[in-house]
Amino acid sequence: MNSIQEYFHTDWAAMTFHDWVGLTITVVVFLSMVIVYAYVLNPANKEQFESRRYMPLEEERLSLEDQQ
Amino acid sequence: METTNANQKYNFEVVRWFSVAACIYFVVGTLLGVYIAAELAWPFLNFDIAEISFGRLRPLHTNAVIFAFGGCVLMATGFYSVQRTCGVKLWSDKLAWFTFGGWNLIIVSAVITLPLGLTQGKEYAELEWPIDILIAVVWLSFSANFIMTIANRKSSHIYVSNWFFLGMMVMITYLHVVNSLAIPVELFKSYSIFSSVQDAMIQWWWGHNAVGFYLTAGFLGIMYYFVPKQAERPIFSYRLSVIHFWALMFGYVWLGAHHLQYTALPDWTGSLGAAISLAMIIPSWGGAVNGMMTLSGAWDKLRTDYILRFMIMSLAFYVMSTFEGPVMSLKTVNALSHYTDWTIGHVHSGALGWVGMVAAGALYHLVQKLWNREMYSVQLVNLHFWMATIGIVIYIVAMWISGIMQGLMWRDYDEFGTLTYTFAESVAAMHPYYVMRTVGGFIYFAGTVVMLYNVVMTIMGASKERSTQTAHAQA
Repeated sequence: MNSIQEYFHTDWAAMTFHDWVGLTITVVVFLSMVIVYAYVLNPANKEQFESRRYMPLEEERLSLEDQQ
Repeated sequence: METTNANQKYNFEVVRWFSVAACIYFVVGTLLGVYIAAELAWPFLNFDIAEISFGRLRPLHTNAVIFAFGGCVLMATGFYSVQRTCGVKLWSDKLAWFTFGGWNLIIVSAVITLPLGLTQGKEYAELEWPIDILIAVVWLSFSANFIMTIANRKSSHIYVSNWFFLGMMVMITYLHVVNSLAIPVELFKSYSIFSSVQDAMIQWWWGHNAVGFYLTAGFLGIMYYFVPKQAERPIFSYRLSVIHFWALMFGYVWLGAHHLQYTALPDWTGSLGAAISLAMIIPSWGGAVNGMMTLSGAWDKLRTDYILRFMIMSLAFYVMSTFEGPVMSLKTVNALSHYTDWTIGHVHSGALGWVGMVAAGALYHLVQKLWNREMYSVQLVNLHFWMATIGIVIYIVAMWISGIMQGLMWRDYDEFGTLTYTFAESVAAMHPYYVMRTVGGFIYFAGTVVMLYNVVMTIMGASKERSTQTAHAQA
C-alpha cells in the first residue's frame, strides 16, 4: 500500500452511527452544492438571475409608485 | 423627496438608534483596544488594579467591538435593508425595540461582569450562562423579525443581501447555543458540558464561525446592499453572488480545526480544516471581485465619493485577510505563526480593515438617508478614511514583524540543542512593536472619534433644520 492509499485508508467496519450521519450529511450537502452550481451557471438561467441585480436600485422608484 | 417617502413608509426609528449606538460603541471598543495595547507596551498601566488588567479588559474589548459595535451595525443595516429590498415595514416594531433594548442590556451586563472576572473562559464567548440565555433570546427576536419581514415581502425574489443575513442568523443561533451548553453551579459560574479536546474543538468551531458567519457573512450582506446603493450601480454579477453565498455557507463550518494544529486533536482534522481554508480563497475572492467590479466603468467615483472609498478599501482588506488566513492555517506556516502576534495582526487586518471599514461606509450612507441630509463635513469623512487606513497599516505591519520575530526566536536552537532565547527575552524584543501597535491603534481610534463627531453634527443639523421648518410652517 503506498502512502496515499495508507493516508486515505478507512476502516468502514469501525464507523459509528455518528460517523455515518456525518458522512451522509456531508455527501448530501456536497451533491446539493454541485446541483446549485450547475443550476446557477447554466446559461439558460443567466437572464433570470442577472435581472435581480437591479433590486436595490429600483426600490426607491417602486416606493414612489407605491405612494402614488 | 424619495427618502422622505421611505421614512414614512418604513420603520427607521429603531435603525436610527442602532446606528447611533454603533458609532458610540465604535469609539468605546477601539478605545479599550488602545488601552490594552498600551498595557502590553507599558505594563505599569495596570496600576495593580485587577479590574483594569489586560486579562479582564481584553474580553471586554473583543465583546465591545464584535458584539456591541458589530451587533448594532448588523442590526441597523439588517433592519434597514430588509425593509427596502422587501418593500414592507418591519414585521413588528415592538419586537425591534425589544431587540434594541435587549442587545444593549447584554452589553451593559458585559461591561459589569467581565472586569469583575466573571467569565466562562471561552474566547469570544466569555459571558456567563444567564447572559448567554439572554443573547439567544434577543438574537432570536432579531432573526424572527427579519424572517417575518421577508415573509411579508412585496417582491417575488429575496435579494442576495438578505440571504447572507439569513445565513448568519441561522448559523449563529446554532453555534451560540451549542458552544454555550454548560452546567450552571452558581448565578455567574458554570462549567462547559464539553471537556478536553472536544471542548477545544467546539470552542474553535464556534470561534472561527463567529468570524465566518457573524463578521463575514453578515458584513457581506451589508456589502451586497450598500456598495450598489452607494455606487448607484447594480452588483457586477448576481450569479457570482449566489455562488459566493452557497460556497461560504458550505465551506466555512469546516475551518475551525485549523486553530488546533499540533494539539491533541486528530491530525486529519487540522489538515481538513487547512485544505478547506485554502479552497475558501476562491469564493472569498470571487465575492470581493464582485463588489469591486460593481464600480466597473465608474471608477472615477472613488475620487470624489469618500464613503465609497471606505467600502472598496474594506474589500481590499477582505481579499488580503482571506488569503493570509488560509496560508497561516497550513501546518508549516502555522508552526511559525501560531501563538504569536502574527495571528493578532491577521485578525485586526480583517476586523479593522474589512469589518470596520465596510461598517463605517454603511453607517455614513445610513446616516445620510435616515436624517435626509448630507454629512456635516465630507472632509472629515475623508480624514477618517485616511486615519483608518494609516492606522491599520501601522498596526498590522508591527504585528507581522513582531509575530515572525517571536516565532523565529522561540524555535531557535544553538549547537547543543538548547533554546537560544528565553521567553522573557522574546517579550523584551517585542516592546518597540507593541509601542508601534499602540500608535496605529490610537490613530484608528481617533478616526472613530472623528466619525462620531461628524455623525452627531449631521444629526444636530438635521434636527435644527426640522425645527426651523416647523417654526416657518407655524408662522
